[in-house]
Amino acid sequence: MSQSNQPNRLRQGGRIERARTLDFTFNGKRYQGHAGDTLASALLANGVDVVNRSFKYSRPRGIVAAGAEEPNALVQLGSTEAAQVPNVRATQQALFEGLTAQSTNGWPNVQRDVMSLVGKLGGRFMPPGFYYKTFMAPASMWMTYEKVIRKGAGLGRSPMENDPDSYDHLNQHCDLLVVGAGPAGLAAALTAARAGARVILCDEQEEMGGSLLASRELLDDQPAAQWAERVIDELAENDKVTLLPRTTANGYHDHHFVTLHERRTEHLGETAPRVDGYRSSRSRMHRVRAGQVLLATGAHERPLVYGNNDVPGNLVAGAVSTYIRRYGVVPGNKLVLSVSNDHAYRAALDWDEAGREVVAIVDARRQPDGELVEQARARGIRIIEGSAVLEAKGDKRVDGARVAAIDTAAFRVTGQAEVLECDTIASSGGYSPVIHLASHTGARPTWDDTLLGFVPSLVKGVHAAGSARGVHDLAEGLADGASKASEALAALGKSASAIEPPRADVIREGQACALYQVPHEKPTLRAPKQFVDMQNDVTAAAVELATREGFESIEHVKRYTALGFGTDQGKLGNINGMAIAARCLGRSIPEVGTTVFRPNYTPVTFGAIVGRHCRDLFDPERYTALHQWHVEQGAEFEDVGQWKRPWYFPRKVNGKLETMAEAVARESLAVRTGVGILDASTLGKIDIQGPDAREFLGRVYTNKWAKLAPGRVRYGLMCKDDGMLMDDGTTSCLGENHFLMTTTTGGAAGVMEWLELWHQTEWPELQVYFTSVTDHWATMTVTGPEARKLLSEITDIDLDKEQFKFMDWRNGKVADVPARVFRISFTGELAYEINVQANYALHVWKTLFEHGKKYDLTPYGTETMHVLRAEKGLIIAGQDTDGSVTPEDLGMFWAVGYDKPFQWIGKRALTRPDTARKDRKQFVGLRPVDPTVVLEEGAHIVVDKDQPIPMDMLGHVTSSYYSPNLKSGFALAVIKGGRDRMGETLHVPMPDGQAHEVEVVSPVFIDPKGERQHV
Amino acid sequence: MSDITYGQVATFNTHPEAAIPSESPLSVAFNQISVSTPAPAVNHASGVRLEEKAFLGHLILRGGAIVLDEAVRKVLGISLPGQPLGLALDESGERSVQWLSPDEWLLIVPGGEEFEVEQRLRDALGDAHYAIVDASGGQTLVSLEGEKARELLMKSTNYDVHPSNFPVGKAVSVVFAKSSLILRRPAEDRYELVLRRSFADYLYRWILDAGAEYGIGVQR
Repeated sequence: MSQSNQPNRLRQGGRIERARTLDFTFNGKRYQGHAGDTLASALLANGVDVVNRSFKYSRPRGIVAAGAEEPNALVQLGSTEAAQVPNVRATQQALFEGLTAQSTNGWPNVQRDVMSLVGKLGGRFMPPGFYYKTFMAPASMWMTYEKVIRKGAGLGRSPMENDPDSYDHLNQHCDLLVVGAGPAGLAAALTAARAGARVILCDEQEEMGGSLLASRELLDDQPAAQWAERVIDELAENDKVTLLPRTTANGYHDHHFVTLHERRTEHLGETAPRVDGYRSSRSRMHRVRAGQVLLATGAHERPLVYGNNDVPGNLVAGAVSTYIRRYGVVPGNKLVLSVSNDHAYRAALDWDEAGREVVAIVDARRQPDGELVEQARARGIRIIEGSAVLEAKGDKRVDGARVAAIDTAAFRVTGQAEVLECDTIASSGGYSPVIHLASHTGARPTWDDTLLGFVPSLVKGVHAAGSARGVHDLAEGLADGASKASEALAALGKSASAIEPPRADVIREGQACALYQVPHEKPTLRAPKQFVDMQNDVTAAAVELATREGFESIEHVKRYTALGFGTDQGKLGNINGMAIAARCLGRSIPEVGTTVFRPNYTPVTFGAIVGRHCRDLFDPERYTALHQWHVEQGAEFEDVGQWKRPWYFPRKVNGKLETMAEAVARESLAVRTGVGILDASTLGKIDIQGPDAREFLGRVYTNKWAKLAPGRVRYGLMCKDDGMLMDDGTTSCLGENHFLMTTTTGGAAGVMEWLELWHQTEWPELQVYFTSVTDHWATMTVTGPEARKLLSEITDIDLDKEQFKFMDWRNGKVADVPARVFRISFTGELAYEINVQANYALHVWKTLFEHGKKYDLTPYGTETMHVLRAEKGLIIAGQDTDGSVTPEDLGMFWAVGYDKPFQWIGKRALTRPDTARKDRKQFVGLRPVDPTVVLEEGAHIVVDKDQPIPMDMLGHVTSSYYSPNLKSGFALAVIKGGRDRMGETLHVPMPDGQAHEVEVVSPVFIDPKGERQHV
Repeated sequence: MSDITYGQVATFNTHPEAAIPSESPLSVAFNQISVSTPAPAVNHASGVRLEEKAFLGHLILRGGAIVLDEAVRKVLGISLPGQPLGLALDESGERSVQWLSPDEWLLIVPGGEEFEVEQRLRDALGDAHYAIVDASGGQTLVSLEGEKARELLMKSTNYDVHPSNFPVGKAVSVVFAKSSLILRRPAEDRYELVLRRSFADYLYRWILDAGAEYGIGVQR
């Protein structure tokens, strides 16, 4: 248990497990720490001063804080490429055996940094707005500049290999979500739990307890941490309580929906360890829907802004106490503490008790007189009143502090400076409540002049307790947590009496003074750099310069200087920055603006956001009952909505797989000359029953349904109320009060909602019900001249062309399976659509192929389907139409029943003058003069190809294919006044300058009389 | 004759008389076309056990609660659930009826019974305005059991499945992963999912992936 290699580790104290020593590597050097350490506490224990180089000036930087607010100690984790994690805060990373970390900045290393020369020289050449001013012109070069700047700045890097870990989400519900397990949060959770409420308590640290884990105070005469342990034990026993340590509440969204990010295995290793062969998820997003939310998020201590306050060895005062008391680490030997308040005196007392030297406490107040001040005096600690540290001395580590009397109101140095020899400067300028989550609700925080900080404004159902709303005293914070929880539950109609908080000493503290930036003998612009935002290298001078350049709102100052724009979101610097801007502008802090925070509170790994919605689970894939057969046949698939539809079925010809063009040519010819088969199961199918079913159809379709007899099928067009085509399909009359509607594959859900919408809101008196049966039926289209012969081999249905006509449907058996067969055609050929209950589909399909062998039954996919229907001029709603096309634009006058008795949807719009214009875009066919040309879908059509740009555009190509039947390219298009342009030659200009010559023709290219589907 | 014109409505017995091979909506998944590793078997360590109850009869009932309740009681001896989101089972537990929407219920019966049940319901309903639709080919039922079943559901749906909100006898249509399904609680130790055929493969793969950490096993 030798600790000789950890020079700053105390012999005793702290919550670390001294018996468990862990090896880790930082910047290639091996060190040792203990279980219970963070990477930061272990580095400090080993006396590592420089942990990074700064973003812009490349100055050496050390650890400043002990939690999420740390701006400097960002490290790159990972010993292998796949395990790389950028920008991890060392203060929040638990130490584990073998941890490997590197500084994110600094080349070739943090000790000897090439960029620092640039930083030293560049300081004066890199004022705020430097990037804007320098790299904006010429604008086209920005992309190039940006790459170089990013590389130079370097904020970690992403792994180049696949992440071996998995991530997931968990949906949680509770009566009360308590964020933060410090004194207020524990008291709140205990109050709610004892009242029987469902409670979630989350805390971002490795161990719950918050400030109690490092507190000097006693609770019920015992160390405060013991009370915390007892409460956590009690909560853990309660099965209505969910405890989530290592879990950061990152975003408050609407209606008490809060996202929590739980780091599940990051304290165990760089990738999740395998347990029973399974690697559990590395981190998890809890999606919490809470009845009420209680924020017990504590406060962040503000450092003072003085010269060279970024030299390693400068820390915030509370962090010093945390390292000593919680981790048994004193981060130095000789301390100077510079404060504006009593609370921070604890750092000096802790330091003194650790047996190291407190050189002096420099207090900005003239006569500090609180109890802690008295304690320090009693120990003989030198207290320099009315003064502050003006400037730190040293390069890679503090070696002195220049101290002088100051006048805070006049912002000037009033006394002679004295240099105190020391290696650590801790500072405290007060405490900012952590109001981020409250701010996510959109509520603007308000400035409190007594607390010297913003306190949260709270929307209904959100509560704050303890330091999060400025109640910093321990006894008061405990009581506050309990009473706020009780209020929150009352809002849910549940009564909960606040727990009796443990007895805590009341410590009388004197009033703090307002001090943010410490004055220097030199004006701010000439003084040594006084850092406000260390992560983004924003100095007090930069903020002052921004105000001089005319930026008055803090929102503008922030954007100009990048204050608060780092991954730490300016947790330490924002208020100081606002105070400096306010001083420069001669205004108060609230007058320069409030501070706005947005999710996320700390960076969240993409994996946790994505969860398991990735790879083959990224989006649902919908399969038909025949999917497996298609896969086995080597089909290529096309995404149609979420469906996977066979696109084409490439065959091996002479050992070579067909291209799509070859496969489609073969499939198209097979349908026109023999027989093909298509899996049409994806078409939407809606069962419609009721005495008013027929009436309802007449109102939602443009055409007539009054006389459609059972056994018959009709094609229908559906318009939106603007008269534009929405969907199309066939509807069959199954019985006098019973219809089966089909919709397009993509339109199915929309049509179903459309029918329900009109029924429920406009015509509730109609007796009709709609039920989706899309998935119940499998649909197989057998089409081509040989279709009848093939089907007749396996069905008992009379297929005689007089008995079973085009647009008829019949019941019967196909391959011994009960089937409904519809004689409808989307190819223009003889076609039967066989519908069977989906569980039996594969048997029917396979039987068709057994019998189809002699006809060379050819499976075809959506591409061939498109070619065949386009040859017949049959539209696809959503491809040939785009929400601006009427049935009449499509030339389907026969499908619009203006004389129907009821005002059907779209009728009124179709009688407007605009929809009757002669120059509307009308549906036509196009034939390229050069038959080898296949036009591009979406291409524009013009009269004069030589007209200077902007050309007069007549319309555009909606569908275009090569037709093996026509041995030519052909297209469908919408063209202004197209029906009057038949036979005209028009042009389709292409981006490369050439223009294709096309002839306007009828959209029906094959069998214009429609004889083939009637055979 | 598989088709009977029932008054003005055509009913249809989808089942062949001959023995014909059939495939449930999970057949693709079970044939491992889409999952790289075979479905894990159930063992003593399985925190979740999944079993498909394939080929059941699923009927969608639409109409007024009072007439449908009478008819269902007469034919099956079960009352329609009295509350929204209710689920009622017969004594054998093989037949169930659940609320889907204010005028819509899902009736599940043993496979092959659905056509006869439909006819008897139609007889009982007489002239009332209602609809009965066979959906048996379009959906399948999957049961989830095991101590980790609830946690698996929490990974998948934003519905609150805590026993205080989702007790036995409740059934809800929920968002599940990026799809949706019907979630039922017929017994203390069992959940049932009704999956739509076309989404079944995706949902099954999701459940297996989400259940891997609990050692999920598939009962075949």
